[in-house]
Amino acid sequence: MIYALTVPGPIEDVQEVRVLEWHGVAGQVFAVGELVVELETDKALVEVRAGQPGVLRSVLCGEGDWQALGRPLAILSDTAEEPLPTDTGDLALMAVEFEVS
Amino acid sequence: MARPLRGPGLDSAAGQPTQLLRRMMVIRAFEAALAARPDHGFQLFSAGQEAVAVGLCAALETGDQLLTSGRSIAPALARGLDPGRVMAEILGRVAGPARGKGGRGHLAWPSEGFFGAHAVVGGNLSIAAGVALAFQIEGRRDVVACLFGDGACGAGALHETLNIAALWKLPLVLVCDNNQLSVSTPRSQALAPARLSDLAAPFGIPGATVDGMDVAAVRDAAARFVARARVGDGPALLECVSERFSSHSTATRETRPKDQMAAILARCPIARLAGELQRAGELGSADIAALEGDVAREVALAVAFANASPLPDPAEALTDVG
Amino acid sequence: MSAEPVAGTMKLFFREAIARALREEMQADARVILLGQDVGAFGGSYKEFARLQAQFGPARVRDTPVAEAAMVGLGVGAAAAGLRPLVSITYMDFLMLGLDPLVNYAAKARFKTGGQITVPLVVKTTAGARGQGVAHSQCLEAWMMGVPGLAVVAPSTPADAYGLLKAALRHDGPVLYVDHKRLFPTAGEVPLAETVLPLGRAATRRQGRDVTVVSHSFMTRVALEAAERLATEAISCEVIDLRSLAPLDLDTVASSAARTGALLTLEEGQLTCGIGAEIAFQVREQAGPIRTARVGAAPAPVSSNPVLEHAALPDAERVAAAVRRLLDAPPAERP
Repeated sequence: MIYALTVPGPIEDVQEVRVLEWHGVAGQVFAVGELVVELETDKALVEVRAGQPGVLRSVLCGEGDWQALGRPLAILSDTAEEPLPTDTGDLALMAVEFEVS
Repeated sequence: MARPLRGPGLDSAAGQPTQLLRRMMVIRAFEAALAARPDHGFQLFSAGQEAVAVGLCAALETGDQLLTSGRSIAPALARGLDPGRVMAEILGRVAGPARGKGGRGHLAWPSEGFFGAHAVVGGNLSIAAGVALAFQIEGRRDVVACLFGDGACGAGALHETLNIAALWKLPLVLVCDNNQLSVSTPRSQALAPARLSDLAAPFGIPGATVDGMDVAAVRDAAARFVARARVGDGPALLECVSERFSSHSTATRETRPKDQMAAILARCPIARLAGELQRAGELGSADIAALEGDVAREVALAVAFANASPLPDPAEALTDVG
Repeated sequence: MSAEPVAGTMKLFFREAIARALREEMQADARVILLGQDVGAFGGSYKEFARLQAQFGPARVRDTPVAEAAMVGLGVGAAAAGLRPLVSITYMDFLMLGLDPLVNYAAKARFKTGGQITVPLVVKTTAGARGQGVAHSQCLEAWMMGVPGLAVVAPSTPADAYGLLKAALRHDGPVLYVDHKRLFPTAGEVPLAETVLPLGRAATRRQGRDVTVVSHSFMTRVALEAAERLATEAISCEVIDLRSLAPLDLDTVASSAARTGALLTLEEGQLTCGIGAEIAFQVREQAGPIRTARVGAAPAPVSSNPVLEHAALPDAERVAAAVRRLLDAPPAERP
């Protein structure tokens, strides 16, 4: 199955996030608990960790790019071979864990 | 024990006893000339407190800065400001260093080492610390001295300033001219500590109390603290216990009884030093008379200079606002 | 370096715009220093001073104790002695503690010394309500804009936070720079090129025909939100962001109000002796009677309680309702 990695809203007073650093490239496999990406909000650094195992397929927002809450940052899938859809709207949301510092 | 008349380590002529005497006499005569005028305005005089201003200034060098309270005339003259320009400023004439716009309460001539008076009680303390901070950041060896009264010791400004000056080891010497009265309130009814230099102790900086009627004692104590600050050893608090010969201001009535006043006036710092110099054979009565004449002429010139300077154009009410 | 933004921008958080302005000014001028609570290693309550101490050292970026009177006084004295300090007062509510050195010395120094002493000091403070209670919520700019000798600026965007802070640090007199708690979560485009905005110049954020809405700081965003809603009702709002309260850009406001024929002022502070009252009167003096209304906080302290805070402060719907009432009312009578 194909998933979208998002930062779900609402978070109080946070409207947008900026990607600080990706901790993997396309093809990388993530186990539960592994750090996928670091994001910046106005107040804090957010560490986004995989809440389910998955393969990173495509990064939609590069380092330094901005994204609104609830909008996809990357595409992941259960297995590496699944074909990616052309339309990335309406994908299932990947389970994630957040750590805010 | 008689204090030595000549101070240690002060080479300049300005620190020498005859000069100290002359300075105090100029202050006394200047203020008397001002008080005698019908247009004297709202003044705070320093009669009785001349030794504090003169002793402190004898310890300062050219590049140092002095800040004061509204009781500014004695410190300004002690710092060496031209008496004619000072009189002009006090009388609101354009020849004053601030074109007459500050008057006595805000007398200032920073290029002459007199950063200025500020008429808010305790209001110059944190300002002085800021000037000292600038000197520190710029790596200057100059020192900032701030003169204030016992009246400023009850407010937070002093304590906040002591704290930050101690923490940052600012080159700041705080000098409390404790004339033992805040307008009509005696020190004992306004301030819990009897010895105001004790206020330095909680902050871990040196404090000392000296007789403010003894110009040499003030000079020597100030010189020690200034020297310390100059080499980066940080701030200090010097208390000079003095007597105020007049009421708080020209707008305030005297509340002390006549017999108390008689005892106070007998402690005159000018008479004291003149007497010491005469007894030591440094000055004869003819010398004193010559000094008096010289001082009178200097004050007369200052008055004439100020009289000749015009008042500002009313349009200056709107200039230099910022 | 240019006075107007050039093509080519980057998106920054509000706090980053502040840090950038300070970093550039501190690099360019060794006299610029930063004093405040938690500005050093901590980088400021909003991280608006992040990494400045690491870059410029502890002599120029200093943490102070909690002592606003001394903090401002230190800044005043240091500025009077030739430095260009920025003193950060975390909450505008506590600026009051520092008003003696700011108002009685800094704003008076040039005048009282006949020009011998100037005080190029910036006091930066954060105003506004965001759930922190009665003594951590106030907008007091109106108290300060009438002090002769004191400039007051208030950005509403990261670009203006950047450009106005640079301008403030270059101004040769004291400047009170007021931002807002609720601006920190916002991000915005900031010119890539070094940009200094002029003091005393408002910005027209939205052009319109039916009403002039004048605001500043966070309320400018509320005004724009109201304008969006009103546009769906065929009411066209011109939204002016003051940016500078003293000096005030009366010409921009008055000419807009004369054109639209209706003026609504919006502030988060109190209405009594407020910014709206001042603007309304000045516009009337310059452009004649124009129908005018003002929107501001309720005349009460602002609680941390979310229901009560919301009830006390203007929001887009209340602003829109005020515009509708203003436009329904008959035009002002001409003498």
